[in-house]
Amino acid sequence: MSELTNDQIKKGLQVLSSSEGSKLLTHLNSCVHCGLCAESCIYYKAYGEGKYIPARKVDMVASIYNRYNTWLGKSFPKLLNARNLDEEILPEMIDLLYGSCTLCGRCVKHCSIGVDIEYVVRKGREMLATMGYVPATLQSTVNAAINTGNNMSIPEQEFRDTLTWLEEDLKMDVNDDNACIPLNKEGADVLYTLNPREPKFFPLSIAAMAKVFYYAGENWTLSTKMYDVTNYGYFSCNIEEASEIARRLFEEAKRLNVKRVVLAECGHGSRSFRWEAPNYLKKEFDFEVITSVELLAEYIREGKVKVDADLNKERVTLHDPCNLVRSGGVFAEQRYILKHTVADFIEMQPYGYENYCCGGGGGQLSMSEYNERRMKCGELKADQIRKTKAKIVATPCHNCVDQLIQINVANKLGVQIKTMAEIVADAIIP
Amino acid sequence: MIWYKLLALFAIGICFLLLLFHFIRLIKLGAPKDYARKKGNTGQGIAYSMTKAMSPVQKESAYMHLPTYSAGMVYHLGTFLSFAILVLSFFYVNWPSGVIVFFTVYLALSFLAGIFILVKRIVKEQLRLLSNPDDYISNILVTLFQLFTIGIFWIQALYPYYFIIVSILFIYLPAGKLKHLLYFFAARYHLGFFYGWRDVWPPKTIKYLNKK
Repeated sequence: MSELTNDQIKKGLQVLSSSEGSKLLTHLNSCVHCGLCAESCIYYKAYGEGKYIPARKVDMVASIYNRYNTWLGKSFPKLLNARNLDEEILPEMIDLLYGSCTLCGRCVKHCSIGVDIEYVVRKGREMLATMGYVPATLQSTVNAAINTGNNMSIPEQEFRDTLTWLEEDLKMDVNDDNACIPLNKEGADVLYTLNPREPKFFPLSIAAMAKVFYYAGENWTLSTKMYDVTNYGYFSCNIEEASEIARRLFEEAKRLNVKRVVLAECGHGSRSFRWEAPNYLKKEFDFEVITSVELLAEYIREGKVKVDADLNKERVTLHDPCNLVRSGGVFAEQRYILKHTVADFIEMQPYGYENYCCGGGGGQLSMSEYNERRMKCGELKADQIRKTKAKIVATPCHNCVDQLIQINVANKLGVQIKTMAEIVADAIIP
Repeated sequence: MIWYKLLALFAIGICFLLLLFHFIRLIKLGAPKDYARKKGNTGQGIAYSMTKAMSPVQKESAYMHLPTYSAGMVYHLGTFLSFAILVLSFFYVNWPSGVIVFFTVYLALSFLAGIFILVKRIVKEQLRLLSNPDDYISNILVTLFQLFTIGIFWIQALYPYYFIIVSILFIYLPAGKLKHLLYFFAARYHLGFFYGWRDVWPPKTIKYLNKK
């Protein structure tokens, strides 16, 4: 690890001196090292090693905070194990904060005190990002989004071509030559976003949502300029880059003068734009931001789309994306949708707010150096799925879809992974 | 007033002032401004955070670790009881013998709970690696405080030592992890605010959508 400059150290420490409310100060001073959070972490459950106890991750950041910000830490560092921010601590810090946490937040709910462990980990990541120590693999995904407008670097023409054949498909599917996928339509009620994995690898999920929009009679549009719902800057915790990505989607919504931005099925994407982006940009949005899961539930509840649960006969289970449920409060909607669209639904155990992360969150899918850990943590999810005896795993998150597909293959589960839009589209009565 | 009582009062005064400093700093910084459109109810979120969210059935840290959780509860109640007895010990109180026996039995249990927690921290390797000297000092000080609280009911000669322990405890309290006495409530507040804003807490069921 190269030597840290004084300027880097200063920038890193500035993150901990932030005066944006008392939240950081509170959580850095609250952990009592009881270690009872251990079993709430998928890394600890997978490996059983002490280094994966969430409190260790908090302590990593708090030890630096104590060294520079508290009287006891400055005067008697050994008493608090207060540590210097130097090149010696960096490899451990990167490994623990980027490589051993999916930011799933499960430990937060179960902490005996109520320490927002995930928030502290993100602050630690922010320190590393400020000092220039984001893992190169994760940074390359952020760079792709910054440089090309989407994290998969899909050229605009390729994107348009994909949508053109999806539109042709839609016309045949609904038997209406006027059916369309509207692009860059100003004044639409809904600006729909996508996870770039959809046009690249899973175009059928776009087709499914287009079909739902068609039957709901929605006045919607897609932007060819800025459609990417993801924000890997949220994972790297480089606030400047996360803000830039968020700003682009915000400005596109303003340019198109839409009433609602509907966030595609993407856990971190919905969190980063709905909950974090207004704070990155320090402004309240004057348009509504909702997730597509909420919109789908709304269509069914208001009778805008008619569905028949018997059209999906196979047993379905649900994987709850952490950012959507535990950190986004979308819990009932996906269950409401499944109640009306599948004949045989079974919950995983545990589920909902208690659900285990699939292992792909926190940017893990892009950090290939931690693949082995990611797949080992995924075995926990495989066990959950196996016990349900379901044939289909529904999940409203494309990153989760990606990880679940890999878990499915690695653990020979023999299940199908579907998004909520695909489930709804299959249940629609024309 | 006798010197050791004065010493303890001085230590309590210092502790109070330092905790007040922490408290004022928290209040001055306030809750972070959230620009995201509020979906839930922060008041209900905070209320839930301070009550049901702490129920042992809601937390793996409780229901998966019942012996430790129970020891922790007994220990913390013992600490609060010791604080109450400390306040009264500055005055002349003629404790009824039944009350003395009850306090003694409870504080003995609490003392044993403190020892259990300390031994667990020493014996369990993963917990030991997580711990720092402050964790041991804090535990030992509070456990001694409880032991001497029992002692003063039975042995008058322990009074000076009791107040010396009290003085050390209160001087140390705002510096080390014992200040979670204050930060615990701040943490619960922030958690309730955060989850309340996003409509995560109080938790919803599917019936919630039918009511919409």
